[in-house]
Amino acid sequence: MESPHTEALSLRGITKVFPGVLANDDVNLSARRGEILAILGENGAGKSTLVKILYGMYQPDSGTVSVNGRAVGIRSPKDALALGIGMIHQHFTLVPVHTVWENVVLGLDPSSGRPAGGKGAALELEKLGRRYGLEVDPFAVVADLSVGMQQKTEILKALYRSVSILVLDEPTAVLTPGEADNLFAFLREFRAAGNTVLFITHKLGEVMEIADRIEVLRGGRNAGSFLQGEVSERELAARMVGGDIPSVGETLVRPAGRDVLEVRDLWVRGGRGHHAVRGVSFTVRAGEILGIAGVSGNGQEELADCVCGLARQERGEIRLDGRILPREDPGAVFRAGVGYIPADRHREGLVLDMTVEENLVLKNLSAYSRKGFLREGAMRKNAERLIGEYGIRPPLPGSRTASLSGGNQQKVVAAREIEAGRKCIVAVQPTRGLDLGAAAHVHRMLAAARNEGRAVLLVSTELSEVVSLSDTVAVMSGGEIAGIFPRESADLRTIGLLMAGRKGEPS
Amino acid sequence: MTAEKHGGNSLSESLTDPDGILSSLFFSSLSVFLGLASAGVLMLFLGHSPAAVYRDLFSFAFRDVYNIADIFAKAAPLILTGLAFAFAFRAGLFNIGAQGQFYLGAVTSAACALSFPFLPSWLLLPLCAAASMAAGGLWGGMTGYFKARFNANEFLVSMMSTYVAVAIMDFLVRSPLREAKGEYPQTDVLAEASWIPSFLSGTRFHWGFFLALAAAGAAWVLLWKTTLGFRMRAVGKNRSAARFAGIREKNVFVSVFLVSGAFAGLAGFLEVNGVQHMVVQGFNPLLGAEGIGIAVLGGAHPLGVVLSALLFGALKVGGLLVTQTSSVPSSIIAILEGFVMLYVILSFYLRHRLRRACARRRAAAGGEAP
Amino acid sequence: MILEGLLARAVQMSTPLLLGALGEVMVERTGVMNMAIEGIFLLGAWAGFTGAYITGSLSAGFLCAMAAGVVVGVLYGWITVFLKQHQIVTGVALNILAAGIGIFFYRVLFGVPLLPLTVEPLRPLAVPFLSAIPVLGPALFRQNILTYLAWGAMPLGWWVLFRTRAGLVLRSTGANPEAVDAAGISVERVRFGAVLAASALSGLAGAFYSIGYLGLFSNDMIGGRGWIAFALCFLGNWNPLGALLGAVVFGIADAAAITLQTSGIRMVPNEFLIALPYILTIAATLARKRFNVPASLGTAYTKEEK
Repeated sequence: MESPHTEALSLRGITKVFPGVLANDDVNLSARRGEILAILGENGAGKSTLVKILYGMYQPDSGTVSVNGRAVGIRSPKDALALGIGMIHQHFTLVPVHTVWENVVLGLDPSSGRPAGGKGAALELEKLGRRYGLEVDPFAVVADLSVGMQQKTEILKALYRSVSILVLDEPTAVLTPGEADNLFAFLREFRAAGNTVLFITHKLGEVMEIADRIEVLRGGRNAGSFLQGEVSERELAARMVGGDIPSVGETLVRPAGRDVLEVRDLWVRGGRGHHAVRGVSFTVRAGEILGIAGVSGNGQEELADCVCGLARQERGEIRLDGRILPREDPGAVFRAGVGYIPADRHREGLVLDMTVEENLVLKNLSAYSRKGFLREGAMRKNAERLIGEYGIRPPLPGSRTASLSGGNQQKVVAAREIEAGRKCIVAVQPTRGLDLGAAAHVHRMLAAARNEGRAVLLVSTELSEVVSLSDTVAVMSGGEIAGIFPRESADLRTIGLLMAGRKGEPS
Repeated sequence: MTAEKHGGNSLSESLTDPDGILSSLFFSSLSVFLGLASAGVLMLFLGHSPAAVYRDLFSFAFRDVYNIADIFAKAAPLILTGLAFAFAFRAGLFNIGAQGQFYLGAVTSAACALSFPFLPSWLLLPLCAAASMAAGGLWGGMTGYFKARFNANEFLVSMMSTYVAVAIMDFLVRSPLREAKGEYPQTDVLAEASWIPSFLSGTRFHWGFFLALAAAGAAWVLLWKTTLGFRMRAVGKNRSAARFAGIREKNVFVSVFLVSGAFAGLAGFLEVNGVQHMVVQGFNPLLGAEGIGIAVLGGAHPLGVVLSALLFGALKVGGLLVTQTSSVPSSIIAILEGFVMLYVILSFYLRHRLRRACARRRAAAGGEAP
Repeated sequence: MILEGLLARAVQMSTPLLLGALGEVMVERTGVMNMAIEGIFLLGAWAGFTGAYITGSLSAGFLCAMAAGVVVGVLYGWITVFLKQHQIVTGVALNILAAGIGIFFYRVLFGVPLLPLTVEPLRPLAVPFLSAIPVLGPALFRQNILTYLAWGAMPLGWWVLFRTRAGLVLRSTGANPEAVDAAGISVERVRFGAVLAASALSGLAGAFYSIGYLGLFSNDMIGGRGWIAFALCFLGNWNPLGALLGAVVFGIADAAAITLQTSGIRMVPNEFLIALPYILTIAATLARKRFNVPASLGTAYTKEEK
C-alpha cells in the first residue's frame, strides 16, 4: 500500500443504495499525489455515483473517504472545495449570461486570499491561464464561448480555489479532438505540479493516453486495478463489459426482406451545438432488428430523435420504403408508420396524469375523434384490446397511468408504438428500469414485430440486450458508426473495443 | 423554456390530480375550517365572539328566501371567473386577467343593450350574451395569441391587459357611454328588455345562474369529451410529451385563452343584465381575484368551482349582512377568503409530502428490483 | 408653470414606484417574483400611518411599514421558497389577505372616525442653490427626504447588483441556481433573504402614499400601483437604472394625465395615458428576445434527486 504521505485520496468500502438499485457495492479506490487515475466503466458501472459521493452531493450508506490520510465527512460541495477537491461536471455549472471572471469568483470564500474584483481576478486568471495553457478572456460572456472554452472556465474556477484534487466526469464527451489534446496537456501540467486527477471515462484510448493507473468498475464494483503499461486495451475492454457472453435468444435466421428504413449520411447537432451524429448511414430491412450498441452520449439518442422527427436533420436523408420521411414533424412520421419508444418515457412517451386509454391514443387522436368529440367507445375498445394483447396490469382502461408500475407504463408506450409502427419501430432503451419479467415481455413484443416482417431499430446501452435481440449489431461511438456486423460474427471483445472508441479488427 | 419545469410542482399535482374526491373534499373542508378559525381569531380583537359572528353570518345567509336567492345571484359570476382560471390552468396556463375580460364583457353587453333598446328581449338577450363572450374571448385570446406568436409570458400579459381593460372601461363610461345626466361615471339604466328574467320574483336570483351552470357543464364537456380538451390536458400535464405526440401547442394556447376569456366575459353579461342593469365605473373589483381563489379551492374542476362559488357566495351574503348589522368591518370577508386560499396552498404542500411518503413506503415494501 | 408642476409631481409620484421596483428587481434577479407586492403596498401604507399616528413620529411609521412588509415577506418566502408552492397563486392569496388585514386593523384601532385621521406628511426639503434653478430646480431639489432616498437608491442598487460580490450571487441565483449550489451557497437562503429585502422596500413604498404624501390612510389608496412597480421591473429589464427610466416615463404619463385633465385640454383620452405603462409593458414582453429575463424566474429550485 502507498505510504500515507503520498496518498491524496482514498475511498474504502463505499456502498450506496438507491431504491431498487445498488449503485456502489463495496468500492475501494485510492489516488496518489502527482497521479492521474482513470476510472473506467460502462454506463451504470457506478462511476458517477462514486464521484458525486466524493463531491458531497450524495452521502454513502457505508464506507469512508480519506483526504491526505485523514478520514473526512463531505456533506456538501462546499466541504469538498474546502478539502481541495474540485469537480468538472459533465454538464457545466456556469451562469451563461455572466462573464468568465464573474463565474470564477461566484461564491469565493473571502478568506481564500484571491481577488474577487473584476480587474484583480482577470490578472490572476491570466496568470493561471498562461501557466496551465488555459487562456480564456476573463471578460468574455460564457454563453458566447465554445464548449471547450466553457470547460476551461470550469477548470479555472476550480484552480482559482486552489484545488489539489481535480475530478473530471467524461470531460472529452463534448470536445473536439484538438480541444481534447489541450485538456490532456493541461492535465499533465497539473499532475507535474504534484496534484491528483480523477478522470472518469469509458474511452479506452484516453485511458491509454493519459492515465497512470486505471481502476475498472463494473456493475457498481471494482473490476480490476492496473498500472499503465501493465495491461492491454483488449484486457481492459473485457473487464469493462464483463467476460460473460450473454445468452443468445432464439436464433431465427430469416431471409432479409426489402429495405424499409434507409439512413444516408445523417448529421445532427446535439443539445450543445456540437455534432452529435456525424455522417451515419445504415439500412434496416423488413424482418430485421438492427441493434445499435454504444455508451450513452455517443449520438444514439439524437439519431433516434432525428429519425422520428424530433431533432433537426442538418444533412443527409432518411427514407421509409423508398420515400423521404417527413422532417421535424413527429405526427407525420408516426402516421407514415414509424413507432417510437423513447428513452425517457416519463418525459416524452406518456402523460402520466392521463388514463391508460388516453395515453394509448395520444399520438393518434385524429383516428378517435368525430367532429371534435372523442369517440370514447372506440378508445375504450382499443384500450381493452391492447391491454389484453400486451398484458398491461391492472387491466383497467380508466386507471391513471401514473398509478401503474414502471414495467406496465413501458408496456403502454410499447403497445401504442408497436401498434402504430406498421413499417418500422424505433426503440431506445426499451427496458431501462424494468424488472426481468417486464423486460423479457418487451423483448418478446419487439421480436414478434420483427417476425411479422417489420423493421426494428433498437438502441441500447446494454450490450447484452443488443446482442441477444438483434439480427445485426452496429456500434456507435463519437457520433459515428464504428462497426456493423451480423450477430453470428459479433465478437464481444471487439464490440467492447469499438464502444470504447478504438478501431477493432473483427476476429 | 421555464414553463416545462412547472410540470413537477405540487400545485399542479394537487390542483388537477386529486388523490381521490374524498381526499380533495377533506382538504378543502379543512382549509375552509382553518380559514374561518383564523379570521375568527381576528374578530377577538374587536371584542366579538367568533362563534356568534359565524352563527349570525350563516343564519343571515340562510335567513329567508331573499338571502338564499342572493347566494345564487352572487355565485353566478364567481362560477364564471372561477372557470376562466380553472380552464386555462388545465392546459398549464395562467389566465390572471379574468377581471379585465369581465369588464370588457360587461361594457360590451351594456353597449349592446343601450344601442338596441328597441329589440325584443328574445333577440336582445342572446345578442348581449354573445357580445360579452366575444369581447372577453377576444381580449383573452389576445393573450393566447401573444404567447403562441411571441412566446410571451401569459401571466404578465394577462395581468397587464387587465389594467388596459380597466382604462378602456373607464373611458367608455366616462365618455361615449356616460349617462345622459353626465353626473357620475356610469351608464344609463338599461332597457328592461335587456334584463335577464328573474328566477324567483322579488329576489336577485336570475336565470343567469343557470347560464353559469351551463358554462360549467360546457367546460366539463370541452375538457373531457372533446379532442381540444384532450390536447389541452396533454399540453398542461406534459408539454414535451404532447409536442412529441405531434400536438400543436400554439393552437392550444389560443383556443384556451379564447374560451377562458369568453367565460369571464359572460360574467360581465350576468352582472350587468342580471343584477346591476347598468355599468358603474370600477364595480366588482375583486371578481377576478376571487375567481382564482374559487378555482384553487375547487381543484380546477368545474363541479368544484360551482361548489366553491356557492360557498363564497354565501360568505359574501352573510358577511355583508353581518357587517351591516354589527361593528364587524366588511374587510373580514376578504380576510376570510385570503386565509382559506392560504390554507388550500399549504394543504397542497402537505398532500405532496404525504404522496411522496406513500410512494417511498411502496417502493420500500416492493423491495429491490432484481 | 404647468411644466414645472408636472415635473415636480412626476418626480414625487415616482418615489414609491422606484422603491417597489428596486425591491422587485433584486428579488427577481434571484428567480423569485414577489407576487405579494400589491398587498404589501397597502399593508405598508396602513402600518406606516398607524405607526406614525400612534407614536407621532414619521420615522417610526416608516419602520413599522418595513416591518409589516417583512412579515408578509416571511410568509411569502416560506411558502414559495421553502415549501416550493406556486408563486402566482400564493401571491394572489396574500394580496387579498394583506389588504384585508390592513383595512381591518385600521377599523379595530380607530373605529369609524367622522373625519379621516391625519398625520403631518413628510415636508419637502429644498436643497440650497440647486432648488433655485428654473423649472428643474423645484422639480428635482424641492422634494421630501424619501424621494431623495429613492432616487439615490437606484444607482446604489445598480452598484450593489452589478459591482459587488453579493450582487453577483443574486444575479447568478436567478440565471443558474445550479451554479450557485455548486459553489456551495444555499439557493434557498439567498432567495428568502431577497424576498425579505424586497418586501421591506415595498412596505416602505406603501407608506409613502399614506404618510409621505397624503398624511392619511384609505382603503383604496394603492389601486394597482404595486403592480406598476412590478411592471417597472420588467420594463426596466431587471436593472435598477432601467426601472428608474421606466418610472420617469410612468411618472410623466401619470402627471400629464392629471395636468391635462385639470387644464381641460383633451388631445387624447386621459385613460390612454393611464393605460400607457401597461401597454408599454405588454409591448416589451412581446419583444422579450432582447430582454435578460432571469432564466429560473418563477420556478422553485429542487436539487437533483435520484
